[in-house]
Formats: sequence, C-alpha cells, structure tokens
Amino acid sequence: MSALFVLIGISLLVALAFLFAFLWSVRSGQYEDDYTPSVRMLFENQPNENNQQNQK
Amino acid sequence: MLHYPKKTPAELDLTTCYHCGADCEKHPIVYDEKPFCCEGCQLVYDLLKESNLCTYYTLNNAPGNSFKNVKRSGKFNYLDEPVIAEKLVRFRDDKQVHITFYVPKMHCSSCIWLLENLHRLHNGIIHSSVNFLKKEVVVHYRTEGIRLSEIADLLTHVGYEPLINLGDTEQKSPAAAKKKKNYSTALKIGVAGFCFGNIMMLSFPEYFSTGNFYDQAQLKQFFGYLNLVLALPVFFYSASEFFVSAGQAIRQRFLNIDAPIALAILVTFSRSVYEIVSGTGAGYMDSMTGIVFFMLIGRYIQNRTYNSLAFERDYKSYFPVAVSVMDDAENEKSVPVSDLKKGQRIRIRNNEIIPADCVLLSSQTHVDYSFITGESAPVKKQAGDFIYAGARQADGAVDMEVSKPVSQSYLTGLWNNDQASEKEKQRNQSYVDKINKYFTIVVLVLAFGSAATWLFFDPSRSLNAFTAVLIVACPCGLLLTTTFANGNMIRILGKNKLYLKNAAVLEKLARTETVVFDKTGTITSGTQVRFSATMDFPEATVYAAALSAQSAHPLSRKIAKTFKGEKKFSVTHFEEITGQGLKGEIDGNYVILGSRYFVTGTAQTDNSRETLVFLMINGAVAGFFTFENTYRPGLQETLTDLAADYNLHLLSGDQDAEKERLQPLFGKNANLLFGQKPDDKKNYIAELQQQGHNVLMVGDGLNDAGAFMQSDTGIAISDDTNTFSPACDAILDGSSFTRIRSFLDYARAGKKVILVTFAVSLVYNITGLIFATGGTLSPVVAAVLMPLSSVTIVVSSTFFTSFVAWRRGL
Amino acid sequence: MESEKFAYDNKIVKYFAYATMVWGLVGMLVGLWVAFQFVFPALNFNFPLTTFGRLRPLHTNAVIFAFVGNAIFMGVYYSLQRLCKARMFSDKLSKIHFWGWQLIILCAALTIPLGITTGKEYAELEWPIDILITIIWVVFGWNMFGTIIKRRERHLYVAIWFYIATFVTVAVLHLVNSFELPVSLLKSYSWYAGVQDALVQWWYGHNAVAFFLTTPFLGLMYYFIPKAANRPVYSYRLSIIHFWALIFLYIWAGPHHLLYTALPDWAQSLGVVFSVMLIAPSWGGMINGLLTLRGAWDKVREDVTLKFMVVAVTAYGMATFEGPMLSLKSVNAISHFTDWTIAHVHVGALGWNGFLAFGILYWLLPRMFRTELYSKKLANWHFWLGTLGILFYAIPMYWAGFMQHMMWKEFTEEGLLKYPNFLETVTKLMPMYGARAIGGSMYLVGVIIMTYNLVKTVRAGNFLANEEAEAPALEKVYVEHGKPHWHRWIERRPVQMLILSLVVILIGGIVEMVPTFLIKSNIPTIASVKPYTPLELEGRDIYVREGCYTCHSQMVRPFRFETARYGEYSKAGEFVYDHPFQWGSKRTGPDLHRIGGKYPDSWHYNHMLDPTSMSPGSIMPSYPWLLDDDLDLSLTSKKIKAMTTLGVPYPSGYDAIAVSDLKKQAEQITASLKKDGIETSSDKEIIAVIAYLQRLGKDIKPVAATTTTK
Repeated sequence: MSALFVLIGISLLVALAFLFAFLWSVRSGQYEDDYTPSVRMLFENQPNENNQQNQK
Repeated sequence: MLHYPKKTPAELDLTTCYHCGADCEKHPIVYDEKPFCCEGCQLVYDLLKESNLCTYYTLNNAPGNSFKNVKRSGKFNYLDEPVIAEKLVRFRDDKQVHITFYVPKMHCSSCIWLLENLHRLHNGIIHSSVNFLKKEVVVHYRTEGIRLSEIADLLTHVGYEPLINLGDTEQKSPAAAKKKKNYSTALKIGVAGFCFGNIMMLSFPEYFSTGNFYDQAQLKQFFGYLNLVLALPVFFYSASEFFVSAGQAIRQRFLNIDAPIALAILVTFSRSVYEIVSGTGAGYMDSMTGIVFFMLIGRYIQNRTYNSLAFERDYKSYFPVAVSVMDDAENEKSVPVSDLKKGQRIRIRNNEIIPADCVLLSSQTHVDYSFITGESAPVKKQAGDFIYAGARQADGAVDMEVSKPVSQSYLTGLWNNDQASEKEKQRNQSYVDKINKYFTIVVLVLAFGSAATWLFFDPSRSLNAFTAVLIVACPCGLLLTTTFANGNMIRILGKNKLYLKNAAVLEKLARTETVVFDKTGTITSGTQVRFSATMDFPEATVYAAALSAQSAHPLSRKIAKTFKGEKKFSVTHFEEITGQGLKGEIDGNYVILGSRYFVTGTAQTDNSRETLVFLMINGAVAGFFTFENTYRPGLQETLTDLAADYNLHLLSGDQDAEKERLQPLFGKNANLLFGQKPDDKKNYIAELQQQGHNVLMVGDGLNDAGAFMQSDTGIAISDDTNTFSPACDAILDGSSFTRIRSFLDYARAGKKVILVTFAVSLVYNITGLIFATGGTLSPVVAAVLMPLSSVTIVVSSTFFTSFVAWRRGL
Repeated sequence: MESEKFAYDNKIVKYFAYATMVWGLVGMLVGLWVAFQFVFPALNFNFPLTTFGRLRPLHTNAVIFAFVGNAIFMGVYYSLQRLCKARMFSDKLSKIHFWGWQLIILCAALTIPLGITTGKEYAELEWPIDILITIIWVVFGWNMFGTIIKRRERHLYVAIWFYIATFVTVAVLHLVNSFELPVSLLKSYSWYAGVQDALVQWWYGHNAVAFFLTTPFLGLMYYFIPKAANRPVYSYRLSIIHFWALIFLYIWAGPHHLLYTALPDWAQSLGVVFSVMLIAPSWGGMINGLLTLRGAWDKVREDVTLKFMVVAVTAYGMATFEGPMLSLKSVNAISHFTDWTIAHVHVGALGWNGFLAFGILYWLLPRMFRTELYSKKLANWHFWLGTLGILFYAIPMYWAGFMQHMMWKEFTEEGLLKYPNFLETVTKLMPMYGARAIGGSMYLVGVIIMTYNLVKTVRAGNFLANEEAEAPALEKVYVEHGKPHWHRWIERRPVQMLILSLVVILIGGIVEMVPTFLIKSNIPTIASVKPYTPLELEGRDIYVREGCYTCHSQMVRPFRFETARYGEYSKAGEFVYDHPFQWGSKRTGPDLHRIGGKYPDSWHYNHMLDPTSMSPGSIMPSYPWLLDDDLDLSLTSKKIKAMTTLGVPYPSGYDAIAVSDLKKQAEQITASLKKDGIETSSDKEIIAVIAYLQRLGKDIKPVAATTTTK
C-alpha cells in the first residue's frame, strides 16, 4: 500500500499550504471585521461622473 | 402560470418623511414630489441628489436619521487645532491622513453605503470604509484637500454625527494594541485544530484495526513520526498560553486553573514521544492536541466581547475634547481640555458639558446634572455660583472661569480614589479554583500511589500507570464546563439585552442577596407633566404648547410635546427671559408662562421639590404644570418579585418628595435613603458589606461609578447603550429592566448546571482512573474516553444552560 | 492613493457563458442518448464511435469539464473582478485560458469516441491532453492570483477563498492522478497498479467532485445568491468557518468509494468517518445559503433566478446528506455498483450544478446586455420542467438501485440464488430506465427553452463589453508588529516566489519520491498471480478502449450472494499487474473478475458478434468490428518494455520475443474456435479479447490454498 505514502504526503503538503494561507489571512487582518464585507459586496461602484461638479 | 398581484407602488402618501421616516404632522415640505418632515431632511436629500447618491434611498426606505436637535455650526472647529488633531489621527504621511470616527447613528446598509461613498460628496476625501459592528468609519483624506473639521461637519450634515470624546485622545491607538492580542488566539486555535484533525486521521489504524494491520512496518513508523512532527507546533505554540500562566502561578506558590492542564499536556506529550521514538506504541498525541484544541475554543467562547459596547468607560468618555477659551480681547481659541488652567475664561455653548469645576461669570443660566446625579431636571445658577464638572449647559451660551483643572475636579476626584478599591476586588477567587486545587492534589496522590504500588508488584507497569492516571484524570472536564457554560450564558443574557463584561461577573451575580437601587434614571423613566387648571379656559394648554414650542428650554419643550394640539397658532412678539419664563400673544390673548415668581410675583412658598410652571392668560392665572418622575413600567411587579428573596435598598440623590409613593413599592423592610451624596452611597454599601451582605448595585448616573466600584457587582441601566453607560460590570438595556429577577435566578441556576456537569466529568475521570491505575490503559480507551468526555461535557453544559434559560423564558 | 478609474472585462465572461450553454447542450444530449441506449440497444448503431462504452465517458467529461468547467470560469471571471474591484490581471491570459479550454474539450470530443482513453473514470483523457490541461490550469491560476494581488479591496470575500482552494487542489489532484508512462502518442499506462491505482483514482475521483463541482460552486453561491436577493449572506462568520472546515475535511474523504473492496479495512473506515464528518461543513454552507433569503421569500416567488438558486442549494443539501449516508458501510453494501449511485450523482449534478449555473445565466446575461430577460414565462417553464426532470430521473434510479440489489441478494429456501442469471436483474429494470430517459429529456427540453430564451434576450440587448468602475487603490499598510525578523522575510519576498517554490517542491518531491516507493513495493503478495501474456495485454487494452468498465465491474465483494454468483471474492494481490485497475463502479452487466474459463471461447466469439444470440434480451451493444479488424501489433514490444519499467516482472529481454509468443497463443485460441466450428484468422482483435477474458481471475482458482494476505 505504498501509494498511501504518496497520497498522504501530497495531501499533507496541500493541507500545510492551506494552513499557511490561514495564518497569512489572520495576520493580515482579513477577519478583523466579519460583517461589513457581506454588505459591501452588494454595492455597485460605478464611476463618479460629476466628480468635479461638487467641488466644495 | 400562477401570477401574484404585483404590489402597486405606494401612492404618494404625504405623511412619512422620505428621508427619515418620521411623520410630518400636518404640513410636510414637499420637494421633488417627496414629503420631508423638516428642512434638515430636505437639505440632505438635495445634497445626495446633487451628487447622484440616490441609491441611498433605494437600498432601504427612509434610512436617514432625523434632525430634531438643532446642529450648531462650528461645533468641530477644535479639530483643526494641530495639537488636538495629532492625537486623533491614526496614520499620517505627506500626502494623506487616516482617521477613525465613531458614528453611533449608523444602523443599516444604506448608512454603510453612504459612509463608504463620502468621496462622492467631497473630493478631498480619497476613501472611506466602515466597520459596522464597531460602528467606526475610517476616512483617508488628502492633507490639503480638506480639513478635519470639514469632514466632521460633512458627516454631521448627512445625519451621521461622529462622537469624539476625551477618551479617544488619551490612548494613542487603543485599537492597534487590542488587535494584536486576539490575533494570537485565532492563530493558536487554527494551528491546534489543523494538527489535532491530522493526528486523529493518522492515528486511525490504531483505533480500528486489531492485530497487525500494517502490511509494512515503515507505514507504522511513518505515521508515528508524522504524528510527532504535527504535535510539535501544538505543544510549543498553541499550548504556550497554559504553560506561561501555570508557570507564573507556581512561581507565586499558588495553583491556578492552568496548572493541571499544563501538567496533563506535558505528561501526555512526553509519554507519547517516548512511545513513538522507542516504537513501543503509537502514543497519545491525538488526546494531547485534543485537550489543547478544546481548551482554546472554550476560552475563546468564554471571552466573548461585545464590539460596540465599552465597559471601561470613565469620565473621559463624556467630556468634550476641547473647549473655547476667551482671551481678554474677547476672541475665542479652542484649547484641549486637559491643558485648561485655573483662572482661564471659557465659553460654554448650549448642550455642551462643562469639563472643569468653575465659577459662573454670566448673569444666570440653567444646568442639568443628569450625568452626575441622574436627575435631568435643570438647576438654576446665578452669577458667581460654583458649578461642578460634568454638568450640561441647558440654555444659551455662557462664560465661566475655571477654578480647578480638569484632573482635580470634584467628579474626577470621586472617580480616582475609587480605583484603589478595584485592586482588592480580585481577592475572592471563584469557586472553580478551589475545587480545582483539591482535584489536582487528589490526582497527584493517586498517581504516585498507583506508581508506588505497581513498583512493588510489577515494576514495569508503574511508569505506565503513573502517566496513565495523569492523562485520563486531566481536568479538561472541570475547566471545559465552566468555560462553555459561562460562554453560553453570556450569549443568552446578551440576547436578552443584559451585556456582561466577563464570565467572572456571572459567578458574582449568582452570589448576590442584597440589591441596592439608585432612584433617578434607574427606576424612573423620564419626567411626566400634569396640568391642573385653576380657571376653565378651554384652549389653555394648547396656548401654552404653542408658546413653549418657541423656546429650547427642556421644560418648555416637554410642555410643547405633551400638549400639542391639532390647530396651529401663530405667536406674535414672542419674548423669552432666560431662566424665568416666556411671554407672547396668541389670537389676541396675552399669554405668560414661567416660574411662580415670574408669573404671579409671589415667591415659591413651600420648599417642596416639585418643579411647577405657571400659566397666565390675559392677566389671570389659568393653571400650573407639575413635573414629576414617572416610574418604569412594571416597576411594581419587579420589586415585589425581588423583595421575596432579596433585601432591597434605595439610595437617591434628590429630596424625599416621593418617599411615600415609593415605600409601598419597595415593601416594608426595605429602607430608602434620600439626599445621598455619591460618597454617602459608597459608604452605605461598604457598611452593608461589613454586615456580610453581597451587594448588587443597580444605577445609571456617572455618580454611581463610585458605588459600582464598592459593590460586589454593578449593573448600569441605559436606554441607549451606544452613547451612554458609566464603568460597570454589566449593562442592562432599559427595556429588560423588569426581568432583573429572572436574570439573577438564571445566574444561580447556571451555577447548579456547572456543579452537575462537574459530577458528570468526575464519573468519566473515575472510570478512566480504574483503567489507568490498572496500568492497562490502551490508546484506544484513552483516545475514545478523552474526546468523548470533553464532547459530552461541552454539549451538556451548553444544552443545559440553554434549556434552563428556555424554561425561564429568557 | 488616488481613486482610479478602470473597467471590468465582460467579454471573457460572455465567451464563457456561451461556451457553458453550448457544451451544456452537447453534454446533456450525449447523456440523453446514452440513457436511451439502455432502453433501445439499437441506438448503439453497431458503430464503434457510438457504443455506450465510449459515449458514457464522453458524457461525463463533457458535462463535468465542459459544462460545469465553463460555468465556473464564467462565474469566477465575473465575480472575482467585482470582489477585487480590479480588471482581470491580463486580457491575454484570459483569452489563452478560454481558447485553451475549448481546445481541450475539442480534443476530448475527438479522442474519447475513438477509444483513445486511459480507462480511469473522470480522468479518461490521454497524457498529451493531460499536459495541456495542466498548462491551461496554470494560466487560469496565474491570471486569478494576479488579479487578487493587484486588488483594490483589502478584504478577500469568502467566495475568493473558495476559488483559490479550487485552483490549488484541482492542480494537485490532476497532477497526482495523471502519472502515466506514455507508450505512444495516444497510449499510456497508469503508473500505479491495482489497489493503489484504485485508491489514487478515487482519491482523485471524489476530490474532483469535491473541488471541481462543489467548492467553486459554493463560491458562486456566496456571490450570486446575495446579489440576486440583494441581501447580505445570513452569517458571514459562519461562511468563513464553513470554508476552512470544508477545505480541511474534503481532502481526506476519497476512500469511501472503495468500501468492501480489497482496500485495507482501516483505510475504508477512515473514508467512512471523514465522509460522515463532511455533513457539518456542507450543511453549514447550505443553511447559510438558504437563510440568506429569510424575509425575501416573496421575492423568490417572483424572481426566477432565485427559484433556480433555492432549488440548487436544496439539491446540494440533499446530495451532501445522501453522500455521507452512502459512505456508511452497511448502506454502501447495498448501493455500490447499483443505479442508486447514479441517482445520487444526478441529484447533485442536475440539481446543484445545473440549476445554479442556469440561475447565474438568467441573472448575468440580462445584466451584461443591459436588458430584461426575454420572457419570464419561458424561464418559469424551464424551472418546472427541470425540477420535474430531476424527480423523474432520480426516483426511478433509486427504485432501480434497490431492485437490483434485492435481486442480486435473494436466496431461495434451498440456499440457491433466486436469480442466478444476471440478465434477469437487467431486463426487470427496463421501465425504470425508460422513466429515467423521460426525466432526462424533460430536463434537456428545459435547457433548450433556456437557450432560446437567452438567445432572444442577448439579441434584444446591447452588450456592455467594459463595465466602468472606480475605486481607490489599496495603499501599502505596514503592519507594525513585534518580532521583525520572521515577518520581514516573508513580506519582502513577493507572493509569486512563495507559490513557485511550493510548486517546485511538489514536482520535485513527486518525481523523486514516487518511483522508489512504487517499484520496490510491488513484490507479488500472491505467488500464483503471474503477469499478463502479450496477447492478454493487447486484449486488456481493447477492454479499456471499448470502455467495458462502464458496465462491468471486476471486483467480487466478500458477500455470500456475490461469491455464490461469481466465485472466490477478489483479493488485493490479484490486481498487482493491472495498469490501470479496472474495478469499475457500475454493474449494468455482470462482474467479470471470475469469467475466466466459465464459457468456452466460441461462446465469447458469438457473444461479441451479437450478445442477444448468446443471452436473449441483453442490452449489451454488439462489437462486430472486433471480428473484422486486425490486431495492431506495432506497439506490443513497446508495451511490454513499458510494463517492465512499471515493475511487472517479465523475464529480461522478453519484449523481443513478445510478438512471437503472442502469435503462438493466438494460434491455440483459433484452433480451439475451429474445433467448435468457427473459422477465423488468428490475427483478429477478437482473439486477444477472448485471451484476456479467459484469463480473468484464473490465477487464483487452482491454488486456493495459498496464504493470501490482504
């Protein structure tokens, strides 16, 4: 059953990659705010045509 | 095909304001065929339409905030002072600046949408992003594009006034410091979870197949070493928190809650390393990582934090950041409050809080001490009178001279000397620690005992028995119970609008048996006004309402609101004498409204504390308005419930005018004390504690802060948790005031649940010990027993706490 | 960091949308054809390219990689740009990715019907196409990561994490499962053998379902359902937990496809436990998706896209509940090799993948063409037809699945099999296969209506190639933190370098690690099992070419009703020289692992010519070309050399005399056929097939006493 070495080895490598991704995401503050992104993704961000116009 | 009738678009109903949803009474301002309740709302709508931000109204209907309280321009000018701005700004480089505003009024997706499109309203702003849970907006703006005060004005102009207080300026960037901390918990849990899952997967062959399942020996070794490698990060990184705290505790010769955990982890780890390296077994790495993983999750759940509530608010959170100081050439300069010096002349505008003890220079004014004593009835002050810091200016702008710098003012004095009492608060350890100490001692005795006996009979099994006892009898049962039970109870109480600071408060609540109430603001819910007519004049109250609608004085606003009639009267040559009364002419009748002396010329005779306002129409006294406190709905039932098992006390700052009304409510053996200064309250509670009572203080004013510190537990009542709540152990929303009794009972029931689950975990430990002492603990049994006991305990403590809550209707 | 103006690239999304619709129609059409072939075997037309054995793999590859693949890329290219507030990293890479993927589909559409296949389910494509897939997949990843790195929105929405997971895991799966030793341009042998090939194949098979059909679609769900319902997802925190739990659990669940087979039992239990644990994350996702619509159910009643998405998520919930149940050993004993598995697959595929893709198409195309959907009525017709189609597909198949198992299992009082002749269990299922075909056609009619509806919509609108947008760039925020050394090193190195090093380690590890393990460990566990003779090997390649594994299994399970029907149950040691393993996953026809010597050569000869002649009522297609075409001997010696490199113990230098050996054995078979009155020449393909069939499972029979360790 030596294919197991290959499979488990590879799967562990992939899992480790995701662990590093997890560490990076936590450290870079991805989960600081875990409500607003779900609302922000609903907004369109069309360009602002009259940008100059409301120059206060 | 089934067709549902399409809802016809709401025809133009003229009653609800398109911007803020308030009803526009009789004459809404119609603009762009949309009704607006006030000019302010219409202005905002116009501004948004102009920079095509109309999606604000499509996301939710009427999302805006109303403009009831008149906004005074120039309110944020102090923000332009470089010295003040420097403290508030989070990041600055040559081109741009980042600043965070706390905006409590944000409540829906439209608000988020508007606050994130500020760059549309003014191109000095580059980018703004919202953290909804913390109600914060981070704004990046160009240094030369726009001034800080302009941003604050813009926010206020669109209805989202930022709340800036002294507290923000003190700590440089509290967020950064706090943020660092909980990162590591999330990381530790992630690493522990990852390794625990993998090790359990790799230990599978040990669990399920008997005999020689591996067809090649190296597979067994491969899995063994893989387990070892995966266990290292858990042992050294995730579990470090337990070793550190256990170490510190032992250094002070005191066994704290983490000592047994650290011991269990250490023993399991070292034995497993021995077994894997020597090839004599597969080790217990999965149990070890399992303990760490469950403990970390338990701890994470227990220290739930409520993002938008602050428990450590002190006087700094209420005072303004800066105040305008008048130099002798009569021009204003805004100075940070902490730099105020004795003798400086300051100008305080309406609705602003006086930051330091000072002496009144202008003729006279009204101030309300609601922050300090909780009473919101305004107090009249004459020139030369002494005014305490923390009072709110009630009408018009007025000049004062600073007599004591901010840090030594009366209120802060009251505050600072109570810090000391906070320290000795830690003395009584929670009962869990006590049980724990005995548990560890018993386990150690058992371990050494069984090791010794086996040494005597069959030495080879003694080490095995010793470690097995320590592994199985790990206290994860005990510790998980408290963490998960408390965590769940905090969540449930939170759902019912009682927000606890931390789990320790729960235990203290369970031990309460005396409840002390503060009167104003706690058991009262605002003032109510009654009119007693002395002459039958049909529209007397309507005239009074029309006249008082013109003035901003709190009393006149109260009258205008309660006696507003349908018909609209125009008031001609209206005149307001500050602090005395109002004069005006309505439909040819000459109406005067004011204090007894102002209207009738005779001074206040009896010194009853009721505030009376007299009404005279065409020279004859038509009647007078009496203002009294109304009590919270359901006060009667709440108090009778409480009186059954707890002895009650009432400490109130004002006079005992309502003593007869309150005594029946509180029951005969409750004693009510009035005219209590904040110090008296503190001493009274200390006295109660000497008599052995465990005191719970329920209050609301900043003055109660001292009493909160002294009492065992302090609950602050607040009707708007965002803006106001003094430092306390728990914040209770006004609406669930009537359920105090069920909260206290729930805390006690929670304690019983914890004890029951203790018993359950002891049963597990005993069965485990039987195996362990026999020295025959095989990895299968340990691996099954350990997670099983933890899971059942976690599930049972969470389930029972919810079940108990459900039965009590929480 | 001024706010920059940029535009989203909608053209690539339009291309992928069109591809999704086209390949959806093609794939489902082939599926329907194959379904009707059950009921009317004549639909095989006795023509090599249209027999069931070749069309079924075409259907699976077309539907999975062409239809679902293009749907994923359509959704990813649309949502990734908007979530990152940035245009795709490079339009050139997007184009290469699109045309490259369509080229791969074309190659598959050519090679599979011609019988050019590796014989491994859902990985049938030969090695040159595998390499092309790897390249195009890397192009897709490069483009995606490029966009993520130059994003203007700091927070990575959860959908992006699902896309990243999809890319990384599918890349690894494809690499590991595509280890083939090429023999010629269009023929290769799988590196692993027998039991290990089975484990790797189903580790890939399950995770292809997991990471190609579920994870990207969950990402699409988290983007398109909130957008279509215009409400935030139910609990964003739950979606984050859901993602990390799903990613960790999915990768281990492979073995549940091999329950009660020759896989060591602890590996089987491992598969079971992890599949059962899979309910939590999958249902976390479903609940999060459905609860997003709480309070908006009246909108679901009116808006057809939401109707599709709700049924999609519900079907996902059903399929992911049924999956773990199916992986329980007792349930799997019933469902394995029966139509129940097909029902489970199609509830997931037609319900979850199909309906979510349709929902997205109905939502996306009107938006990109700035117009209303041509006809809501037609869309509703498609919805009801599709839903009924799924029911008409799944229920008959559940019924057939149970019926099959019950009939296989039934014993008379005397302890004999009630239905000894396997054919009885097939002919009884005709009504269910008929109902299934009707269900399939209803579903396809729905898709045709959709295509018509969307074509009219597209024609009515005007396409917005580049959708303008504006957002401030993301400034470099220096995360001030304590220990400088460790983080400073990572932050300075660009992320690409990190990914590159990961890929290098992966490839390096594999190339060096694999051969050493595999070759050494192939010591024969059963002495009596010998390698195939060259003629048998050629016969086996024809077995693989014709896709016999799509209807026949080669795995007798250790149950009394199987050993009574077929003979000794299959041992792991018997498959040591099978490159690739041919255990199969469906028994429309009987298990063949003990067929060796059961029927005379002439029986096979006539059976292959016309199956109904030997077993009347059989729905097996006939293979007349086997009797006419000459056996191609050009690669035989190369094949033997390849097998020796893969560790099969042929005597050294055997490849030189392989062809003469082959001819000798062919002569014997032709002689035995002549004895039964069948005149044929010895160089026909049928001879090789007969040689292989007669060899199957014979190695174990005479020497049953040898100790057989699993």
